[in-house]
Amino acid sequence: MAVRQSIRGLERQTDGITLLRRAVGRMQSLSDDRGFDFFAALHGLALPQWCEHGTELFLPWHRAYLYYYELALQSRLAPGFVVQAPADPTIADVGLPWWDWTSEGSHADGIPESYDVAVVGGAQNPLAASTIGVGTSPLSHGVWSLPLFGAVRAQLPGAVTDSDPARTRRDPDVPGELPQASTIEDIVLQQNTFASFTMSVEQVHDDVHGWVGGSMSAVPTSAYDPIFWSHHCMIDRLWYLWQLSALGMDPPPQLLDRVLAPFPMTVRQTLDIATLNYDYAVEVIA
Amino acid sequence: MAKKPAKGKGGSGGDDGPIVHLPLAFTAGEQGESTFKRADLIFENVPHNAGSYEIRVFLNNKKAHEGTKRTGRNGYAGRFRVFGHGGCFGAEGHCDTALAERMPAPDALTGRRHPLAPYTRMLTVTKPLQKLLEKKKGQLESLTLVPIAHAPLRAERGLLAGVADRLKVSLRTYR
Repeated sequence: MAVRQSIRGLERQTDGITLLRRAVGRMQSLSDDRGFDFFAALHGLALPQWCEHGTELFLPWHRAYLYYYELALQSRLAPGFVVQAPADPTIADVGLPWWDWTSEGSHADGIPESYDVAVVGGAQNPLAASTIGVGTSPLSHGVWSLPLFGAVRAQLPGAVTDSDPARTRRDPDVPGELPQASTIEDIVLQQNTFASFTMSVEQVHDDVHGWVGGSMSAVPTSAYDPIFWSHHCMIDRLWYLWQLSALGMDPPPQLLDRVLAPFPMTVRQTLDIATLNYDYAVEVIA
Repeated sequence: MAKKPAKGKGGSGGDDGPIVHLPLAFTAGEQGESTFKRADLIFENVPHNAGSYEIRVFLNNKKAHEGTKRTGRNGYAGRFRVFGHGGCFGAEGHCDTALAERMPAPDALTGRRHPLAPYTRMLTVTKPLQKLLEKKKGQLESLTLVPIAHAPLRAERGLLAGVADRLKVSLRTYR
């Protein structure tokens, strides 16, 4: 079982961030449908963009998305979203960490240090940015054609670097502009319908995308930024906490058997995280 | 209780450019409205097909603009951001926003909405509205919506035309 913990908590573990970097770096080196670009492209470009925003599928769709991304991170994913025995046992239990952007640390420092530092041990930090692959190999998936790079640079100037190959970039606002813990406690977690909770938590989600800026600021490029995954892990955790609360409830019945394309999973199958083989830890002490 | 939606006036052709002023009357004391526990502004017809942006909301401050400080003294009530799709990356007709606006409800067979159908946003304004109503003869008279484009780079952000004037806004209070 993957135990998801906060980035700050992971930073306090001896090998926590090292293993996460190894897992993300491995995904970034894979150009097929187990790789980082493939997953980033499911949310954004290249077309089609599968993500759900502004609908009641926002939370279930992104939970399915994180589920398969985490399996790929753990080297447990075979093509076609099939779960397999881990190809690399050293990273088989790596869990996605959540970025608590309401924490005192985030309101002091902004982007967590482990995601901010550009170079680690003489190599590019895989958590700071990703290189967006160009379609040169017949095995390449989720990559952009050269004209698409031009279209992105024209329509979303500043979303990716001008370098070749292009990299993701950020332009964060001041830390004090991140969402407040009181907004989560007094507004988001106090919603008493699935629809209003979805809308409320999605708005906070939108705030953070805008706060990070750069690639994260728009749907087509956001999932290429490695911090996207920890941002969405925080959103998923808030849904989990709301589900546990007295106000939490399931989505309406007509949604439960909807398929969360392209993933072979229905809304109903996302509701219990224990069946998805992960959990959220309050604190992990090693 | 809900107030009737008000359609934006002003807009890109108005004197204030993209900034929109809406009449929205709400008076303390009538039928106990000021005793609400929660007040939400509901924004309908929110577009998200193009670039990301935010809408800053000011109460009773028709002079508010993009440089106005976001303080209670200036009537600032909050803001919401929209995570945009960044325009169309397909061939001609791929992102038909007119079609999206004609089918805002899910289709019968798949239950899917058009991915670019405008959606609804909610801004909880309980404290700023209560504070305004607590003033002597305090009443809500207008909203001013200041739309700010969220370009990927902060240096390129500024007023955004063609968004705030499309919004339908209503006020909901809860006891």
